[in-house]
Amino acid sequence: MIPSTFAYEMPHSAGEAVDLMRADPLRARLLSGGTWVVPEMNRGESRPGLVVDLRRAGLSEIRAEADRIVVGATCTYATILKSTIVARQVPLLALMARAVTGGQQIHNQGTIGGSVCAALPHSDAPAAVTALAARAVIAGADGERRIAASAMFAGPGQTALEPGEVLTALEFPARTGFGHGYYKLKGFEGSWPIATAAAMVAIDSDGRCSAVALAMGGVAATPMSVDLTDVLGDRPDDDEVLARAGQRAAETLDAPWSDIFASDDYRAAVAPTVARRALKRAIDDARRATASHDGGPR
Amino acid sequence: MPLSTNRALWSIMTIDQVTAPAESSDYVGARVRKHNGAAYLTGRVTYSADISLPNMAHAAIVRSPLAHARIVKIDTTVALAQPSVLAVLSGADAAKTSGPIPYLLDPAGLGGHSADVRCLAVDKVTYVGQPVVAVVASTPADAAAAARLIEVDYDELTPIFDAEAAMAEDAPLIYPDWHTNVMFAGTFGDDTFEETARSAPHLLHGELRIQRTTPSPMETRTYLADWNERAQQLNWYGTTQNPHPQRWVLATALGLTERQIHVVAPSAGGAFGLKMHGHPEEVLVSVLSQIVQRPVKWVESRSECLLAGGREQVHRFAVAYGDDGRVHALRDQMIADHGAVAAGAGWGMSFVAANSFPSGYDIQQCRVEYSIVVTNKPPSVGMKPFGKDAPVLVLERVMDLVAEATGLDPGVVRARNWIREDQFPYTTSAGLVIDSGNYHGLLTQALDRFGYQRRRDEQQVARSEGRCIGIGLGFEMLPEIADIPGSFVTAYDSATVRVDPSGQVTALTGVTSPGGGNDTAIAQIVADRIGVAPSDVAVVQGDTALCPYGTGNLSSRGIVVGGGAAALAADDVALKLRTIAAAMLEADLARVELRDGFARITTDHERAIPLAAVAHGAYTLGYILAAEMDAPLESTRVYKMPNVQQVPDAKGRLSTYTTFSNALHVCVVDVDTETGRVDILDHFCVHDCGTMINPLFVEGQLQGGVVMGIGAALSEEIRYDDRGAIRTDAFKRYLMPRAIDIPHLRIGHQVTRSPFSSLGAKGAGESGFAAAQASIVNAVNDALRPFKVGLNVLPLTPPRVLAAIREATRTAGAVG
Repeated sequence: MIPSTFAYEMPHSAGEAVDLMRADPLRARLLSGGTWVVPEMNRGESRPGLVVDLRRAGLSEIRAEADRIVVGATCTYATILKSTIVARQVPLLALMARAVTGGQQIHNQGTIGGSVCAALPHSDAPAAVTALAARAVIAGADGERRIAASAMFAGPGQTALEPGEVLTALEFPARTGFGHGYYKLKGFEGSWPIATAAAMVAIDSDGRCSAVALAMGGVAATPMSVDLTDVLGDRPDDDEVLARAGQRAAETLDAPWSDIFASDDYRAAVAPTVARRALKRAIDDARRATASHDGGPR
Repeated sequence: MPLSTNRALWSIMTIDQVTAPAESSDYVGARVRKHNGAAYLTGRVTYSADISLPNMAHAAIVRSPLAHARIVKIDTTVALAQPSVLAVLSGADAAKTSGPIPYLLDPAGLGGHSADVRCLAVDKVTYVGQPVVAVVASTPADAAAAARLIEVDYDELTPIFDAEAAMAEDAPLIYPDWHTNVMFAGTFGDDTFEETARSAPHLLHGELRIQRTTPSPMETRTYLADWNERAQQLNWYGTTQNPHPQRWVLATALGLTERQIHVVAPSAGGAFGLKMHGHPEEVLVSVLSQIVQRPVKWVESRSECLLAGGREQVHRFAVAYGDDGRVHALRDQMIADHGAVAAGAGWGMSFVAANSFPSGYDIQQCRVEYSIVVTNKPPSVGMKPFGKDAPVLVLERVMDLVAEATGLDPGVVRARNWIREDQFPYTTSAGLVIDSGNYHGLLTQALDRFGYQRRRDEQQVARSEGRCIGIGLGFEMLPEIADIPGSFVTAYDSATVRVDPSGQVTALTGVTSPGGGNDTAIAQIVADRIGVAPSDVAVVQGDTALCPYGTGNLSSRGIVVGGGAAALAADDVALKLRTIAAAMLEADLARVELRDGFARITTDHERAIPLAAVAHGAYTLGYILAAEMDAPLESTRVYKMPNVQQVPDAKGRLSTYTTFSNALHVCVVDVDTETGRVDILDHFCVHDCGTMINPLFVEGQLQGGVVMGIGAALSEEIRYDDRGAIRTDAFKRYLMPRAIDIPHLRIGHQVTRSPFSSLGAKGAGESGFAAAQASIVNAVNDALRPFKVGLNVLPLTPPRVLAAIREATRTAGAVG
């Protein structure tokens, strides 16, 4: 039950959505899956004058282009999990989606663009798209612009979107040869994550790490990328090497997030472990891929 | 008589195939599925919030944003001007037509303190969330929107949120008339600890801090009042566990007679003690209906529901024990944080906690000193297992600490301290008389059937591999079916069993079901006696106009007293049916039995008459068939537990509880020492509640209790900000276990009959919570023994567990 009245529009394209938002951008609110906005409105915490529902705006497609994979902003986690394109080319996104709490109902309802725009420190999607070096496609009154997804996250609950702008898609660079790992720490199933880590590691034929990306969620106000160049090196799954990688994550974390589930101290304490476990999974995945594909890793 | 007509009648009676097979005529003890389960599963059950009356209006409540403040001014002008708004009510307005809400049990009457509790705060608020103003509008959304337009000016007073701080000399007083913040204090047991401890070989001390948790039933509270001005009659529908006492509460607060009030408690989606009487909104909707002259409904939101809490206590204990693990004496000092006063059952939980020491252990030198303290948190509410969990937790920690100190197995220490089978009935140091039990048998089954010892061996292997596996025992002994003098908590209840002229069987009971299934179990009890299937018995509960007087559900009483009463009434009706049938069959009464919907000759099943024919005969041929017998096939009977002792003994003790179920749980956990996360690998238990009418429902209650215990041990915690506002106002922040958090629960049964209840049954409605909680806390401590960590602050969340490990590691590092 929403204790306030508001206008409701369901545009049929991103352009229409932008036009609708333009009239009074500060009092309009975009609705994607509604798993965050609707409860907020139910509680009376958000009282927009206009709700623009994107579900018919044609932003739910996943397609592969020459150098990129485009995931529409209103793709649900279920859509992502069903997509063979994602499974083949952006498997980390599927690992993240599978880990989203709330079962089938949330998987069917929650959307990746919604999660990115909500920019909640403890959500799964922001760190995963950061690790994947995604670009955000943004439509506005002045046309379309693209920014790095990592630049979307301006603070807790804050994005780089200007009033009236609409996130239409996320573009992921087509990359091969990586193993993927996602690790999520929380106390109980119903909880938001306390810390997440999304990792991509490429291992060359000599067993050396040739490329690595790691981003952590929940540990800071915005997703935290950890620069592991030079850390993994020749023996990426050596315990000491992984411990150093964890240490790097701890050093990168200068302002740990604090919320009802865990203090900043706790997050600082577990960040190395969470980073290490995600990396270990990614390395194992990369080695499995090497082993199972004679032609080398994906 | 035209028997063929009645045969035709019989043929159209349906037998629900969902229930037990027809060839079995002995339903008591059978795993009969819920007789009305299909209605629940297919959404045909009417819950309180489903009821919609013509012209119904809706209430919303403005709650205090401050924990402790005087109400200076209430401005309702803007809200009243809204087109859909019918009325706005302040506490001062409400006080013109309603009085204080009567206490379930007034602490002042027992030597403590109480204060007037009103449906809306009058001068002062004492917690965040206290009802201050009510709005009635045509729709729920309009009521909620108008509530936001009401402005209340407060003059803030100093709040206090900690019970121990509230006990300090200079603490601000929440109820200045009391000259203290201690609502109730007392002791149980002789003051002999120091003396015994001097001569005991060893002494240990410990502390436990139990957090505030909440009952959170799936169905939140809902009340719908329909005042009929012309008839001067109040029809009241709502989520109440106790319809008849609820009627008394409403009559008292509203200045009506009980005759003027009809209370209906529809099917319930869980209660857990929350829906016992005394909530302000029960009276509030009634006052509002009187004002607007329309039915008024209020449905509690989840965030409002999460204001309710309880169980918050600090225990400090001292134990004197010997090398053999035998505990010579125990002293527990308990401080309970009650929150603000309320008219409900909440404070009684802490009293019962103190009264239930020392669980099922033979420790006659047991001293409990308790204080129940008010603070500016929301009031405590009733929550299963109603305080009995605290002594279980303390005693189970004590047994493990003694085991650790003596090097004995925790099972051995328990066995050496348990009350032995030959000691029952056993009078505890606090005066409870425990009916029966075989606690050692629980351990034997845990060892033999579930391989307790094998798990210990596996633990050693895991430890050597660097895994942090822990095994914890939790023994619970639950006093059930209370009769508290001066309250409507009673160890008796009534039932009417009726067979109508067409042979249909109806049981009307004074007990109610919170959703668990005592209605089906009562149908089984009646079915056996009338010789029909449980699905042929209609069970009517929760209606003061239809059902005989009763207390409803609390204290696990539904089967023992509700079932006991139904058994007596059914026996009466069965005798009448057999008497008529004997005349029809021209046989001796002793040779007539009721089975499978027929009255038949025990030795010749071919000579049988359908129940419908017998019933019809009873109503229409009484002068011919049984001139001595009165026609209506109906009996109302009361079952009253015989073993209540309300005259104080030489030590001033009462024995207010009548049955004592018990169980031993074993929990195996894996602690992640890098994150502090606890995973439950295995959980099994052996449970004894005497005779089981239906093991399915016993296990259902037990499973629910275990899940609640897991939550209380590991994740559930009501938390507040520094101004006393609740932070855990949604299930995303108040973490109840979800399916994935729950291990497969393995259950074994042991049956030790109660010698005092007619069915041999003991209360089973509160099982599982206490032992599960205790076994998990013990298991986590056991897992962390290599770190020499003592975790005693609940719940054992990852941050708390990790902090303890890190602290222990740092200390060890500093020493080493």
